Amino acid sequence: MDSIIDAKDLVHEYSRRDEEGNVIGINRALDGVSLQVKEGDFIAVLGANGSGKSTFAKHLNALLTPTEGTLYVGGMKCGDHSSDLEIRKTVGMVFQNPDNQIIANVVEEDVGFGPENIGVPTDEIWMRVEEALKNVGMYEYHLDSPNKLSGGQKQRVAIAGILAMKPRCIILDESTAMLDPGGRKAVIDTISRINKEEGITVILITHYMEEVIQADHVYVMDAGKVMMEGSPREIFARSGELEKYRLSVLEAVKIAMLLRADGIDLPRDILNEQELVDAVAELAGKK
Amino acid sequence: MIRDITIGQYYQGDSLIHRLDPRLKVVGVFIYLISLFCFRYVIGFLVAGLFFVLVLKLSKVPFRYVIKGLKPILFLLIFTAALNLLWTPGETIWKFGILNLTKEGIYKCIFMAFRLILLIIGSSLLTLTTTPNQLTDAMEHLLGPLKRFGAPVHEVAMMMSIALRFIPILLDETDKIMKAQMSRGADFESGNIMQRMRSMVPLMVPLFISATRRANELAYAMDARCYNGGDGRTKMKPLKYHSRDYKGYGVVILYLAVLILVTRTITI
Repeated sequence: MDSIIDAKDLVHEYSRRDEEGNVIGINRALDGVSLQVKEGDFIAVLGANGSGKSTFAKHLNALLTPTEGTLYVGGMKCGDHSSDLEIRKTVGMVFQNPDNQIIANVVEEDVGFGPENIGVPTDEIWMRVEEALKNVGMYEYHLDSPNKLSGGQKQRVAIAGILAMKPRCIILDESTAMLDPGGRKAVIDTISRINKEEGITVILITHYMEEVIQADHVYVMDAGKVMMEGSPREIFARSGELEKYRLSVLEAVKIAMLLRADGIDLPRDILNEQELVDAVAELAGKK
Repeated sequence: MIRDITIGQYYQGDSLIHRLDPRLKVVGVFIYLISLFCFRYVIGFLVAGLFFVLVLKLSKVPFRYVIKGLKPILFLLIFTAALNLLWTPGETIWKFGILNLTKEGIYKCIFMAFRLILLIIGSSLLTLTTTPNQLTDAMEHLLGPLKRFGAPVHEVAMMMSIALRFIPILLDETDKIMKAQMSRGADFESGNIMQRMRSMVPLMVPLFISATRRANELAYAMDARCYNGGDGRTKMKPLKYHSRDYKGYGVVILYLAVLILVTRTITI
């Protein structure tokens, strides 16, 4: 058992209520999700709005408890709240809105918030904060107010805040959804480097197809179920099916994919047209 | 226009006063404010004023910053000064209709004005040289003994510092909502007071909804980072007294002693 996350037939139901609080219906946000994540992997979960991907992410951090099914995180069972703190130490989570997850008025104090909560001694907090901020390339801003930073920079601070708690796994719950393309790229680059260099498991929840290219394994969710799974290449090849789940592939990414399939040596991380053009031009120049 | 509001106007600096322990500064200002009510002769203001100038010089905060803090109460200041000046009964110096300038009036007016001015600029020196975070930290420490009676001291301090962090964010949001409403023809600037207040309703409702949503998300984010109340928490920046802070306490006590001595011996 070297899987850090092990979900089996996970079900989560929300009950809808009328104004008096009577249950008038039940929504199944998760409907029998089973998946395993190996330690050190880079996993992506793709899905359109309302596909249940965020609900799934909140289970991994013990913020929500499963209605049915079992979920083990780092060998601990979720659901009975006794090991919530341990689970949250194992799995850190970065949320969507950068403004709503930064707690302190100074960057370094925010990064120190997590370690403070889990009772790390003062000297070590400072070491961890410095290390985490350097890791995401934000150390030069350590004395600034978070209000001065751009969205992408705030998300990198949020990632540093999680890193300082030294988790074994980081979940990004649509953390790039509110960012501009530059900010998104910076966050994705940071997180994939952390995955490779530190060996921390990454679970990337997103609806941007082009972000999953660097993942080891991709799950596609719709209506609370896992509909497709496989390597990014396998998933992209089934673009007809993807459109059924309200996901679409960027043209440039698709072209790069197909060119690579034909044996042309393009880099794997092309995200937009300009990068495709540059890469092709560079190849043409070599020949 | 809404962005002009500044709360907790901290003046960035690295002076001796900036570096002092925030607990000392809170206690010191508290004692200073009380001391302003402890004398009956004008000479006391000389001592209190000199002490203020000394601290101001040490803090390297420009004088105009401190004076800015007086702007909001300027009207109140002039109004009460005029009232005291012209309506105090006593030995008349000059009389015009119902206006009655008396010796006691002049005395009272000077007293009142100086006291008010020193109160405001004295306490603004605290917020000018102490970051909001240090202030809440100091509050948490100073109110610590209340924990024994079950007061949620840590939680209140945490709430204060989060509120401070969200002020600029919510101001930004108000600005955005205002512009969105204005682009659809809302009018926030004309009409009488009642009309203006009514026009605030479509501004407040979305603001409250978004603030609640933010609060909910923030709670999730704090949970995810293992926040569990004050117990078992360590501090990244624990408050520690240095020798300069003990000296600071000494200076405050010295000031109090000089003030009492002077106002007892010189009776002007």
